[in-house]
This record gives sequence, structure tokens and C-alpha cells, in this order.
Amino acid sequence: MNEVLRFENVCKHYHSRQGETVAVENISFSVREGEFVAIIGPSGCGKTTLLSLAAGLIKPTRGAVKNDGVSFGYMLQKDELFPWRTIEKNIFLPLEIKRTLSEETKRRALALAEKYGLGQFLKNYPNSLSGGMRQRAALIRTLAVDPDVLLLDEPFSALDYQTRLSVCDDVYKIIRGEKKTALLITHDISEAISVADKIVVLSARPARVLATHEISFPENEPLKRRENKEFSGWFERLWGELNG
Amino acid sequence: MKQTLISSDHALYLKRLKRQTIFINVVRVSLLVLLLGIWELAAALEWVNPFITSSPSRIAKTIADLYRSGDLFYHVGTTLWETLAGFAIAVVVGYSVALLLWWSEVFRKIAEPYIVVLNALPKIALGPLIIIWCGTGSKAIVFMTVLIGLIVAILNMLNGFMATDENKILLLRSMGANKLQILTKLVIPSSLPSFISMLKINVGMAWIGSIMGEYIVSKAGIGYLIVYGGQVFKLDLVMSAVVILCVLAAIMYALVALLERLVIKNR
Repeated sequence: MNEVLRFENVCKHYHSRQGETVAVENISFSVREGEFVAIIGPSGCGKTTLLSLAAGLIKPTRGAVKNDGVSFGYMLQKDELFPWRTIEKNIFLPLEIKRTLSEETKRRALALAEKYGLGQFLKNYPNSLSGGMRQRAALIRTLAVDPDVLLLDEPFSALDYQTRLSVCDDVYKIIRGEKKTALLITHDISEAISVADKIVVLSARPARVLATHEISFPENEPLKRRENKEFSGWFERLWGELNG
Repeated sequence: MKQTLISSDHALYLKRLKRQTIFINVVRVSLLVLLLGIWELAAALEWVNPFITSSPSRIAKTIADLYRSGDLFYHVGTTLWETLAGFAIAVVVGYSVALLLWWSEVFRKIAEPYIVVLNALPKIALGPLIIIWCGTGSKAIVFMTVLIGLIVAILNMLNGFMATDENKILLLRSMGANKLQILTKLVIPSSLPSFISMLKINVGMAWIGSIMGEYIVSKAGIGYLIVYGGQVFKLDLVMSAVVILCVLAAIMYALVALLERLVIKNR
């Protein structure tokens, strides 16, 4: 499979009057087409910086971020739906920004919303939806412009535990169903094991790559993976690496 | 069975709520009637000197006289026009300047000390200058009204623009939005509550501006009536003008509150 994204010895420094902060140091990894990659690390270790680098929102101080001309879709911790827009209008937002709003792209976006159970909420405002539904709407908004790679910045951490498990399962199935490549950032080890094909373990700030693991389970849905015997083995191993 | 129990509880709650609303309204009105009654009685029985304190009936008579002579709408119209013109100019110019300040961080930093000083400056100190620059007509009063409202409008709107959620900006940037798109799709709509509260504050500011302007220089208007009434010791006229002012300010505030209800539904 093709590599769609590649970090080569990437460093990023931030400057402020108080001094210089090294956010990430010498990071190398790659994401192949159709792969679900999770990056885990202690909180505040510069994970979000990695996503901004991947999306091209910021430039690395040293090293290179190479992407194969792919387009990105960003999904954040909170859904960030605009409260003054209906769900439908929220889903059209990236189309408006990219100036590709047409009958055809609208129909495509609405078909996605319909397919994943948002049909009845299209004319509603976000404040009348549950947290899980809102996050689902945020995902459909991200998918509306048909990005090649999804960048997920702890997209479940603002939800309560029950919702979190089911929304995670949900989002996983939608991403797999649409055959998207995904790069997930999380501090939750079990979340990473339950969805990823590959896990990149980062150290505390400045972030370095401690280890990279290819993961496979006989059954791939997150909730099924959590029931598998190997799950706890992976958990202990990653826990050890993060805290070792 | 359980269902009816809850709904009867709820009905009781609603009933109590309704009763409280009625109580508050009744007491509000009675308080006004009571105060007016005491005032009228005190003046009629000469516990106080009605020449100095006036009384509700004398105020009513003064307003009726003003109406009959045709002066009422002339003075009200003059002040209303000055207030609305000053209000509109302050709001439009203030909003535009705030947009510029939001757009450019450098411009914001350069302008900051000027705005802080102008905000702290009592605008009435510019009275003599305004008379010399703008003459003694309505223009001077509109100018004073704009001066008083403008800085407040700028500061309030700038605060509203700057309070835009950083994550939503990040989201738009990740979609490839430029600054103009961030402004029109996010900053302006999300600052709508700030805009409404700026309008509310500026209604008050506009009245302060127009009345103060008329104190300094005027040939007509409610402020003129107050100053004139004070100078010739016609305190009935002063009181009447204040009452008219109260009513006008309340109407204008109510209109803004209505606008708020219409615009902000889903937040």
C-alpha cells in the first residue's frame, strides 16, 4: 500500500518572549493508505502539534512532513458545531469554505448524513442533539469534502465513558466503511488498542518516538477487540513503555 | 397512576410560577401608584412646596399644555432625531473600527493607548471645542452623542470579536479558510450577542450624549427644556421633560430587547 503521509526527523520549536520550547524532536513515522494509526503519549507532550504539522497548518523547524498531495479532514476534541447553524448547514460548512458547494456536493454530503443516521436531525440546531450525535455530525462534516486522511485530535475525550465507547465504535465503523485513512491522537491507551492498525508511542515533552507497534486482532471492531484476551497484554506493554 | 401524579405536581409548579409573576406585576404597578399618590398628596396638602417639588397632576398639565401648543413633538422630535443619528453613527463607525482592530494585531497594539485615554477622557470637556467646530445647531449635539458612544462601541465589539473560540478558528483553518472567511463565517455570527449588548449599552450612551449636548448648546429639545426650566424656575417643566425622557429611553431599550429576542433564538 502507498504511503500517504510521512514524518522525517521532524522537529518543532515554539518561540515566545519567555524563551524557546521544543515541542517535538526527531519524529519519524509513516501512514499508509487505508491505515488507522494511533499516536499515544502523556498529556501535554506535543501530540496536537503533530496533527497541525500533518495538516500543514504549521511548518516544522527541521525535518520534513511529506504527503502525497492528499487532502485532510480535521476532527477536534469538541464537536465545534456552530450553534447558529442547523446540522445541515454545519455539514455544508467545509464545502462553503472550499467554494465547492453545489447541488452535487450537497447531495453527497446529505447522503452521508442519511446513511449514518442524521437524516431526521438535519433541520435541528446542534443544542438539541446529544453529545454522541453531535460528534457524529462533526464527523460527517469532516467527511463532507471527501478528505483522503482524517486527523482525529482526541475526538472522544469530551464524552462520558458510556457514550465514548459507543461513539468510538461508531466513528470507527464509519471511517472503515468510507475506506478512509486515519491518524488518531489520544492519551487513552485502551482507545488506541481498540481501533489502531499501528500505534506510535511518544515520550513526554519534547516528544520523541519511543516505539512503533503493528497491531492486529482476529476481529477488528473496537468493542470486540476490547473483549479479546490479547487486549490486556497490549495494554500492559504500552503502559510499561509510557511509564518506563 | 405515576404519570398523573407527576403531571399534577407539575401543574402545581406552573400555577405557583404564574401566581408569582402576577404578584410581581401587581406590586410593581401598586408601588408606582403609591409613590405618585404620596407625591400628589404631599404637594396638595403643602407638606412640601409644590413650586419646588412639582406634582404628578402639575406634570400632566404641563405635558398637556406642551402638546396643545404644538411644542411637545417639536422638542421630542429634535432630541429623538439627534439621539438616533448619534446612536447610528456611533454603532456603525464603532463596529467598523473594531473590525479593523480585530483584523490587524499591529494596528490594535498601535491604537491601544489612544483608545484607553479617549475612553477615560470625560467627553464633556470637549464642549467648547464642539461649539466652535460644529456651531450651535443639531450638528454639535449629534457630534457629542457620537463621541460619547463611539469608544464604548469599539471596546465592546472588539471584546466580542476577540472572544471567538480558538478551536473553531483552528477548525476553519484546517478546512483551508482565509481570514475573510473566518470573519464572515465565524467571528461576525458568533459575536452577535456582543453586538446586541453593545446596542443596549449605546442606547443609554446616546441619551447621555444628546441631553448633555443640549445642556451645552441648544435651541430646542428635551435637554433644552430641562435647562430652560431650571433657569426660569419652572420646575414643572423640568420634571415633565424628565418623565418624557424616561418614557422614550424605555421604548428604545424595549426595541433593542425585542431585536435580541428575534435574533438570538438558538443559543
